[in-house]
Amino acid sequence: MRTKQTIAVLGATGKMGSAIAKSLSKGNYRILLFSRDNTKLGRLKRELRNAVPQADVVSVDCSYNACWEADVIIAAVPYSAEKEVADTIREVANQKIVISVANPVNNNGDALLTPLNTSAAEELQKLLPNSKVIKAFNTMFAADFNQPEIDGKQVDAFIAGNDDDALEIVRDLVQTAGFNPVIAGDLSLSRVLEHMQLLLIRLSIKHNYNRLAGWKILHH
Amino acid sequence: MYELFFKNMTEKVKLTRDQQQMIRQYLVPKKIRKNQYLLQEGDVAKYAAFVEKGALRAYSVDEKGTEHIIQFAFEGWTISDMYSYMTGEPATYNIDALEDSELVLLNKSAQEEILQRVPEYEEYIRLQLTGAFMSMQKRITSMLSLTLEERYIQLTQLYPSLVQRVPQRMIASYMGLTPETLSRVRRKIKERWE
Repeated sequence: MRTKQTIAVLGATGKMGSAIAKSLSKGNYRILLFSRDNTKLGRLKRELRNAVPQADVVSVDCSYNACWEADVIIAAVPYSAEKEVADTIREVANQKIVISVANPVNNNGDALLTPLNTSAAEELQKLLPNSKVIKAFNTMFAADFNQPEIDGKQVDAFIAGNDDDALEIVRDLVQTAGFNPVIAGDLSLSRVLEHMQLLLIRLSIKHNYNRLAGWKILHH
Repeated sequence: MYELFFKNMTEKVKLTRDQQQMIRQYLVPKKIRKNQYLLQEGDVAKYAAFVEKGALRAYSVDEKGTEHIIQFAFEGWTISDMYSYMTGEPATYNIDALEDSELVLLNKSAQEEILQRVPEYEEYIRLQLTGAFMSMQKRITSMLSLTLEERYIQLTQLYPSLVQRVPQRMIASYMGLTPETLSRVRRKIKERWE
Protein backbone atom coordinates (compact mmCIF):
# COMPACT_ATOMS: atom_id res chain seq x y z
CA MET A 1 0.00 0.00 0.00
CA ARG A 2 1.38 3.38 -0.99
CA THR A 3 -1.01 5.49 1.07
CA LYS A 4 0.51 6.06 4.47
CA GLN A 5 -1.56 4.51 7.25
CA THR A 6 -1.86 6.24 10.60
CA ILE A 7 -1.27 4.05 13.63
CA ALA A 8 -2.19 5.13 17.17
CA VAL A 9 -0.19 3.39 19.88
CA LEU A 10 -1.98 3.60 23.23
CA GLY A 11 0.27 2.81 26.17
CA ALA A 12 3.21 3.88 24.02
CA THR A 13 5.70 4.23 26.88
CA GLY A 14 5.08 0.74 28.24
CA LYS A 15 7.53 -2.04 27.40
CA MET A 16 5.43 -3.52 24.60
CA GLY A 17 4.07 -0.16 23.39
CA SER A 18 7.50 1.40 22.94
CA ALA A 19 8.92 -1.76 21.36
CA ILE A 20 6.05 -1.85 18.84
CA ALA A 21 6.27 1.89 18.11
CA LYS A 22 10.03 1.64 17.54
CA SER A 23 9.76 -1.33 15.23
CA LEU A 24 6.98 0.26 13.15
CA SER A 25 8.68 3.63 12.79
CA LYS A 26 10.84 2.10 10.03
CA GLY A 27 7.75 1.46 7.91
CA ASN A 28 5.51 3.67 5.77
CA TYR A 29 3.38 4.67 8.74
CA ARG A 30 2.50 7.81 10.60
CA ILE A 31 2.70 6.92 14.27
CA LEU A 32 0.74 8.70 16.98
CA LEU A 33 2.03 8.02 20.46
CA PHE A 34 -0.20 8.29 23.48
CA SER A 35 0.74 7.73 27.10
CA ARG A 36 -0.20 9.27 30.42
CA ASP A 37 3.49 9.64 31.29
CA ASN A 38 4.53 12.82 29.46
CA THR A 39 8.16 12.72 30.54
CA LYS A 40 8.62 9.19 29.22
CA LEU A 41 6.67 10.10 26.09
CA GLY A 42 9.02 12.99 25.25
CA ARG A 43 12.00 10.70 25.77
CA LEU A 44 10.50 7.98 23.57
CA LYS A 45 9.76 10.45 20.76
CA ARG A 46 13.36 11.73 20.80
CA GLU A 47 14.69 8.20 20.87
CA LEU A 48 12.57 7.20 17.88
CA ARG A 49 13.59 10.22 15.86
CA ASN A 50 17.26 9.61 16.59
CA ALA A 51 17.01 5.97 15.63
CA VAL A 52 14.99 6.58 12.45
CA PRO A 53 15.46 10.20 11.28
CA GLN A 54 12.78 9.91 8.56
CA ALA A 55 10.22 8.47 11.03
CA ASP A 56 6.82 10.18 11.00
CA VAL A 57 6.15 10.12 14.73
CA VAL A 58 4.14 12.54 16.85
CA SER A 59 2.83 12.46 20.38
CA VAL A 60 -0.83 13.21 20.97
CA ASP A 61 -2.10 14.36 24.36
CA CYS A 62 -5.51 12.73 24.12
CA SER A 63 -6.26 9.09 23.27
CA TYR A 64 -9.66 10.03 21.81
CA ASN A 65 -8.04 12.40 19.28
CA ALA A 66 -5.26 9.94 18.50
CA CYS A 67 -7.82 7.26 17.67
CA TRP A 68 -9.98 9.69 15.68
CA GLU A 69 -7.00 10.34 13.44
CA ALA A 70 -5.86 6.71 13.28
CA ASP A 71 -6.60 3.99 10.74
CA VAL A 72 -5.29 1.32 13.11
CA ILE A 73 -5.28 1.46 16.91
CA ILE A 74 -2.80 -0.59 18.92
CA ALA A 75 -4.02 -1.07 22.49
CA ALA A 76 -0.70 -1.79 24.20
CA VAL A 77 -2.32 -1.47 27.60
CA PRO A 78 -2.70 -4.04 30.41
CA TYR A 79 -5.79 -6.23 30.45
CA SER A 80 -7.02 -4.39 33.54
CA ALA A 81 -7.09 -1.09 31.58
CA GLU A 82 -9.02 -2.41 28.57
CA LYS A 83 -12.45 -1.31 29.77
CA GLU A 84 -11.43 2.25 30.51
CA VAL A 85 -9.64 2.55 27.17
CA ALA A 86 -12.62 1.08 25.32
CA ASP A 87 -15.01 3.51 26.98
CA THR A 88 -12.81 6.45 25.95
CA ILE A 89 -12.23 5.50 22.32
CA ARG A 90 -15.47 3.61 21.42
CA GLU A 91 -16.97 6.39 19.30
CA VAL A 92 -13.82 7.15 17.26
CA ALA A 93 -12.78 3.49 16.94
CA ASN A 94 -15.97 2.69 15.03
CA GLN A 95 -15.20 0.20 12.21
CA LYS A 96 -11.45 0.59 12.82
CA ILE A 97 -8.87 -2.09 13.49
CA VAL A 98 -8.02 -2.33 17.19
CA ILE A 99 -5.09 -4.59 18.03
CA SER A 100 -5.30 -6.34 21.38
CA VAL A 101 -1.77 -6.83 22.71
CA ALA A 102 -2.59 -7.67 26.33
CA ASN A 103 -2.11 -11.04 27.95
CA PRO A 104 -4.35 -11.33 31.01
CA VAL A 105 -1.60 -12.83 33.15
CA ASN A 106 -1.91 -12.64 36.95
CA ASN A 107 0.71 -10.96 39.13
CA ASN A 108 2.58 -14.19 39.80
CA GLY A 109 2.85 -14.89 36.07
CA ASP A 110 1.49 -18.40 36.57
CA ALA A 111 -2.13 -18.21 35.40
CA LEU A 112 -4.53 -16.21 33.23
CA LEU A 113 -7.23 -14.03 34.77
CA THR A 114 -9.77 -14.82 32.04
CA PRO A 115 -12.02 -17.90 32.16
CA LEU A 116 -11.22 -20.64 29.64
CA ASN A 117 -14.15 -19.77 27.38
CA THR A 118 -12.90 -16.28 26.55
CA SER A 119 -9.77 -14.14 26.12
CA ALA A 120 -8.61 -10.55 26.58
CA ALA A 121 -9.16 -9.97 22.84
CA GLU A 122 -12.71 -11.33 22.87
CA GLU A 123 -13.52 -9.25 25.93
CA LEU A 124 -12.21 -6.17 24.12
CA GLN A 125 -14.37 -7.07 21.10
CA LYS A 126 -17.43 -7.15 23.39
CA LEU A 127 -16.51 -3.70 24.67
CA LEU A 128 -16.00 -2.40 21.12
CA PRO A 129 -18.72 -4.19 19.14
CA ASN A 130 -18.33 -2.02 16.00
CA SER A 131 -14.53 -2.25 15.85
CA LYS A 132 -12.44 -4.93 14.20
CA VAL A 133 -10.47 -6.38 17.09
CA ILE A 134 -7.38 -8.34 16.08
CA LYS A 135 -5.06 -10.25 18.41
CA ALA A 136 -1.41 -9.64 17.58
CA PHE A 137 1.99 -8.87 19.13
CA ASN A 138 1.13 -10.95 22.21
CA THR A 139 3.18 -14.12 21.69
CA MET A 140 6.60 -12.54 22.18
CA PHE A 141 8.56 -10.45 24.67
CA ALA A 142 9.39 -6.77 24.21
CA ALA A 143 13.09 -7.65 23.89
CA ASP A 144 12.32 -9.80 20.83
CA PHE A 145 11.53 -6.65 18.83
CA ASN A 146 15.23 -5.73 18.89
CA GLN A 147 16.11 -9.20 17.81
CA PRO A 148 13.24 -10.86 15.94
CA GLU A 149 15.66 -13.54 14.79
CA ILE A 150 16.72 -15.97 17.49
CA ASP A 151 19.15 -18.82 16.92
CA GLY A 152 19.11 -18.00 13.20
CA LYS A 153 15.33 -18.31 12.93
CA GLN A 154 12.80 -15.55 12.43
CA VAL A 155 10.31 -15.59 15.30
CA ASP A 156 6.70 -16.39 14.32
CA ALA A 157 4.09 -13.83 15.31
CA PHE A 158 0.52 -15.11 15.46
CA ILE A 159 -2.52 -13.10 14.46
CA ALA A 160 -6.19 -13.86 15.10
CA GLY A 161 -9.33 -12.00 14.06
CA ASN A 162 -12.66 -12.17 12.28
CA ASP A 163 -12.19 -9.66 9.43
CA ASP A 164 -10.08 -10.76 6.45
CA ASP A 165 -9.10 -7.25 5.29
CA ALA A 166 -8.10 -6.31 8.84
CA LEU A 167 -6.01 -9.48 9.19
CA GLU A 168 -4.11 -8.58 6.01
CA ILE A 169 -3.38 -5.06 7.24
CA VAL A 170 -2.11 -6.41 10.58
CA ARG A 171 -0.04 -9.01 8.75
CA ASP A 172 1.81 -6.12 7.04
CA LEU A 173 2.38 -4.42 10.40
CA VAL A 174 3.80 -7.61 11.93
CA GLN A 175 6.07 -8.08 8.94
CA THR A 176 7.32 -4.48 9.17
CA ALA A 177 8.12 -5.11 12.83
CA GLY A 178 10.47 -7.89 11.67
CA PHE A 179 8.49 -11.00 12.60
CA ASN A 180 7.14 -13.83 10.47
CA PRO A 181 3.37 -13.28 10.46
CA VAL A 182 1.17 -16.36 10.89
CA ILE A 183 -2.60 -15.92 10.68
CA ALA A 184 -3.94 -18.41 13.20
CA GLY A 185 -7.68 -18.06 12.64
CA ASP A 186 -10.70 -16.24 14.04
CA LEU A 187 -10.69 -14.20 17.21
CA SER A 188 -11.53 -17.17 19.45
CA LEU A 189 -7.99 -18.45 18.69
CA SER A 190 -6.83 -15.62 20.98
CA ARG A 191 -7.50 -17.99 23.90
CA VAL A 192 -4.76 -20.26 22.59
CA LEU A 193 -2.42 -17.39 21.73
CA GLU A 194 -2.75 -15.85 25.19
CA HIS A 195 -2.05 -19.25 26.79
CA MET A 196 0.98 -19.68 24.54
CA GLN A 197 2.46 -16.53 26.02
CA LEU A 198 1.67 -17.74 29.53
CA LEU A 199 3.70 -20.86 28.77
CA LEU A 200 6.53 -18.77 27.33
CA ILE A 201 6.59 -16.57 30.44
CA ARG A 202 6.69 -19.60 32.74
CA LEU A 203 9.43 -21.31 30.72
CA SER A 204 11.38 -18.08 30.55
CA ILE A 205 11.33 -17.83 34.36
CA LYS A 206 12.13 -21.51 34.85
CA HIS A 207 14.97 -21.73 32.34
CA ASN A 208 16.17 -18.16 32.54
CA TYR A 209 15.64 -17.27 28.86
CA ASN A 210 16.28 -13.67 29.83
CA ARG A 211 12.97 -12.75 28.17
CA LEU A 212 14.46 -13.33 24.76
CA ALA A 213 12.39 -16.20 23.48
CA GLY A 214 9.68 -16.82 20.92
CA TRP A 215 7.67 -19.38 19.02
CA LYS A 216 8.54 -21.05 15.75
CA ILE A 217 6.30 -23.51 13.96
CA LEU A 218 8.47 -26.13 12.26
CA HIS A 219 7.01 -27.53 9.10
CA HIS A 220 8.11 -28.90 5.76
CA MET B 1 -19.00 13.97 14.38
CA TYR B 2 -21.70 12.98 11.85
CA GLU B 3 -23.90 16.11 12.11
CA LEU B 4 -23.59 17.35 8.54
CA PHE B 5 -23.65 13.79 7.18
CA PHE B 6 -27.08 13.12 8.67
CA LYS B 7 -28.32 16.67 8.10
CA ASN B 8 -27.70 16.32 4.35
CA MET B 9 -29.32 12.92 4.31
CA THR B 10 -32.43 13.82 6.30
CA GLU B 11 -32.97 16.92 4.16
CA LYS B 12 -33.44 14.61 1.19
CA VAL B 13 -35.03 11.50 2.70
CA LYS B 14 -36.93 10.68 5.90
CA LEU B 15 -34.98 8.49 8.31
CA THR B 16 -36.11 7.24 11.71
CA ARG B 17 -33.83 7.54 14.71
CA ASP B 18 -33.29 3.76 14.63
CA GLN B 19 -32.31 3.85 10.96
CA GLN B 20 -29.80 6.62 11.67
CA GLN B 21 -28.41 4.60 14.55
CA MET B 22 -28.11 1.58 12.29
CA ILE B 23 -26.26 3.55 9.58
CA ARG B 24 -23.98 5.05 12.21
CA GLN B 25 -22.62 1.58 13.07
CA TYR B 26 -21.03 1.37 9.63
CA LEU B 27 -19.35 4.77 9.53
CA VAL B 28 -15.66 5.40 10.07
CA PRO B 29 -14.86 8.76 11.69
CA LYS B 30 -11.49 9.97 10.43
CA LYS B 31 -9.46 13.10 11.00
CA ILE B 32 -6.85 13.96 8.43
CA ARG B 33 -4.23 16.70 8.55
CA LYS B 34 -3.41 19.21 5.85
CA ASN B 35 -1.24 17.71 3.05
CA GLN B 36 -1.89 14.13 4.15
CA TYR B 37 -3.15 11.62 1.63
CA LEU B 38 -6.43 9.82 1.92
CA LEU B 39 -5.57 7.86 -1.21
CA GLN B 40 -2.55 7.52 -3.46
CA GLU B 41 -2.60 6.44 -7.08
CA GLY B 42 -2.05 2.67 -7.41
CA ASP B 43 -3.90 1.73 -4.21
CA VAL B 44 -7.52 0.62 -4.30
CA ALA B 45 -9.98 3.28 -3.11
CA LYS B 46 -11.60 1.43 -0.23
CA TYR B 47 -13.66 4.39 0.94
CA ALA B 48 -15.93 7.16 -0.18
CA ALA B 49 -15.24 10.14 2.07
CA PHE B 50 -17.89 12.62 3.15
CA VAL B 51 -16.43 15.96 4.32
CA GLU B 52 -17.81 17.09 7.70
CA LYS B 53 -15.19 19.80 7.99
CA GLY B 54 -12.26 20.92 5.85
CA ALA B 55 -11.30 20.58 2.20
CA LEU B 56 -9.77 17.92 -0.05
CA ARG B 57 -8.93 17.54 -3.70
CA ALA B 58 -8.66 14.64 -6.13
CA TYR B 59 -6.03 14.90 -8.83
CA SER B 60 -4.16 12.86 -11.39
CA VAL B 61 -0.54 13.31 -12.43
CA ASP B 62 0.48 13.06 -16.09
CA GLU B 63 3.69 11.66 -17.55
CA LYS B 64 5.42 15.04 -17.30
CA GLY B 65 4.55 15.22 -13.60
CA THR B 66 1.87 17.90 -14.04
CA GLU B 67 -1.07 17.70 -11.64
CA HIS B 68 -4.62 17.85 -13.00
CA ILE B 69 -7.26 18.53 -10.38
CA ILE B 70 -10.45 16.57 -11.00
CA GLN B 71 -12.52 17.64 -8.03
CA PHE B 72 -12.52 19.72 -4.87
CA ALA B 73 -14.57 18.64 -1.88
CA PHE B 74 -15.62 21.03 0.88
CA GLU B 75 -18.13 20.57 3.72
CA GLY B 76 -21.05 18.42 2.60
CA TRP B 77 -19.31 16.95 -0.46
CA THR B 78 -18.26 13.37 -1.05
CA ILE B 79 -14.94 12.46 -2.64
CA SER B 80 -13.33 9.24 -3.85
CA ASP B 81 -11.82 7.65 -6.93
CA MET B 82 -15.24 6.33 -7.95
CA TYR B 83 -13.91 4.03 -10.65
CA SER B 84 -11.55 2.34 -8.20
CA TYR B 85 -14.18 2.30 -5.43
CA MET B 86 -16.76 0.60 -7.66
CA THR B 87 -14.48 -1.86 -9.48
CA GLY B 88 -11.74 -2.60 -6.96
CA GLU B 89 -9.13 -1.68 -9.61
CA PRO B 90 -6.11 0.46 -8.56
CA ALA B 91 -6.89 4.16 -8.29
CA THR B 92 -5.67 6.62 -10.90
CA TYR B 93 -6.35 9.61 -8.64
CA ASN B 94 -4.57 10.93 -5.59
CA ILE B 95 -6.72 12.47 -2.86
CA ASP B 96 -5.17 14.75 -0.26
CA ALA B 97 -6.29 17.26 2.33
CA LEU B 98 -6.00 20.99 1.61
CA GLU B 99 -6.86 21.78 5.23
CA ASP B 100 -7.06 19.81 8.49
CA SER B 101 -10.28 17.90 7.89
CA GLU B 102 -12.87 15.68 9.54
CA LEU B 103 -14.28 12.95 7.35
CA VAL B 104 -16.91 10.24 7.49
CA LEU B 105 -15.69 7.20 5.57
CA LEU B 106 -17.85 4.42 4.19
CA ASN B 107 -16.52 1.33 2.47
CA LYS B 108 -18.29 -0.44 -0.35
CA SER B 109 -19.43 -3.56 1.52
CA ALA B 110 -20.81 -1.41 4.35
CA GLN B 111 -22.61 0.72 1.77
CA GLU B 112 -24.10 -2.41 0.17
CA GLU B 113 -25.37 -3.57 3.55
CA ILE B 114 -26.98 -0.22 4.29
CA LEU B 115 -28.58 -0.26 0.82
CA GLN B 116 -30.09 -3.66 1.67
CA ARG B 117 -31.33 -2.64 5.08
CA VAL B 118 -32.56 0.93 4.54
CA PRO B 119 -34.67 1.57 1.40
CA GLU B 120 -34.58 5.32 2.12
CA TYR B 121 -30.80 5.21 1.83
CA GLU B 122 -31.14 3.85 -1.68
CA GLU B 123 -33.31 6.85 -2.53
CA TYR B 124 -30.65 9.14 -1.04
CA ILE B 125 -27.87 7.52 -3.07
CA ARG B 126 -29.98 7.81 -6.23
CA LEU B 127 -30.36 11.54 -5.62
CA GLN B 128 -26.64 11.85 -4.85
CA LEU B 129 -25.67 10.06 -8.06
CA THR B 130 -28.10 12.12 -10.11
CA GLY B 131 -26.55 15.26 -8.66
CA ALA B 132 -23.04 14.03 -9.37
CA PHE B 133 -24.01 13.12 -12.94
CA MET B 134 -25.50 16.57 -13.52
CA SER B 135 -22.42 18.36 -12.20
CA MET B 136 -20.22 16.22 -14.39
CA GLN B 137 -22.36 17.07 -17.44
CA LYS B 138 -22.12 20.73 -16.48
CA ARG B 139 -18.34 20.51 -16.12
CA ILE B 140 -17.96 18.90 -19.57
CA THR B 141 -20.30 21.41 -21.22
CA SER B 142 -18.52 24.33 -19.64
CA MET B 143 -15.12 22.97 -20.73
CA LEU B 144 -16.33 22.63 -24.32
CA SER B 145 -18.56 25.60 -24.88
CA LEU B 146 -18.08 28.43 -22.37
CA THR B 147 -15.55 31.22 -22.46
CA LEU B 148 -12.82 31.21 -19.82
CA GLU B 149 -14.51 34.09 -17.97
CA GLU B 150 -17.83 32.27 -17.95
CA ARG B 151 -16.18 29.11 -16.74
CA TYR B 152 -14.43 30.90 -13.90
CA ILE B 153 -17.66 32.58 -12.77
CA GLN B 154 -19.54 29.30 -12.92
CA LEU B 155 -16.80 27.65 -10.86
CA THR B 156 -16.96 30.26 -8.11
CA GLN B 157 -20.73 29.78 -8.00
CA LEU B 158 -20.31 26.01 -7.65
CA TYR B 159 -17.74 26.37 -4.86
CA PRO B 160 -18.44 29.75 -3.17
CA SER B 161 -15.50 29.49 -0.75
CA LEU B 162 -13.06 28.29 -3.41
CA VAL B 163 -11.17 31.54 -3.94
CA GLN B 164 -10.62 32.10 -0.21
CA ARG B 165 -9.57 28.54 0.55
CA VAL B 166 -7.67 27.25 -2.46
CA PRO B 167 -4.46 28.62 -4.02
CA GLN B 168 -4.83 30.12 -7.52
CA ARG B 169 -2.50 27.54 -9.05
CA MET B 170 -4.92 24.78 -7.98
CA ILE B 171 -7.90 26.61 -9.44
CA ALA B 172 -5.90 26.95 -12.67
CA SER B 173 -5.13 23.24 -12.57
CA TYR B 174 -8.83 22.41 -12.12
CA MET B 175 -9.67 24.57 -15.14
CA GLY B 176 -6.84 23.13 -17.21
CA LEU B 177 -5.10 26.52 -17.49
CA THR B 178 -1.69 27.86 -16.57
CA PRO B 179 -1.69 30.16 -13.52
CA GLU B 180 -0.76 33.05 -15.86
CA THR B 181 -3.80 32.51 -18.06
CA LEU B 182 -6.07 32.28 -15.01
CA SER B 183 -4.64 35.50 -13.69
CA ARG B 184 -5.48 37.22 -17.04
CA VAL B 185 -9.02 35.82 -16.85
CA ARG B 186 -9.47 37.17 -13.33
CA ARG B 187 -8.12 40.58 -14.37
CA LYS B 188 -10.58 40.75 -17.27
CA ILE B 189 -13.52 39.90 -15.00
CA LYS B 190 -12.39 42.50 -12.49
CA GLU B 191 -12.01 45.20 -15.17
CA ARG B 192 -15.51 44.50 -16.43
CA TRP B 193 -16.95 45.14 -12.99
CA GLU B 194 -14.94 48.30 -12.33
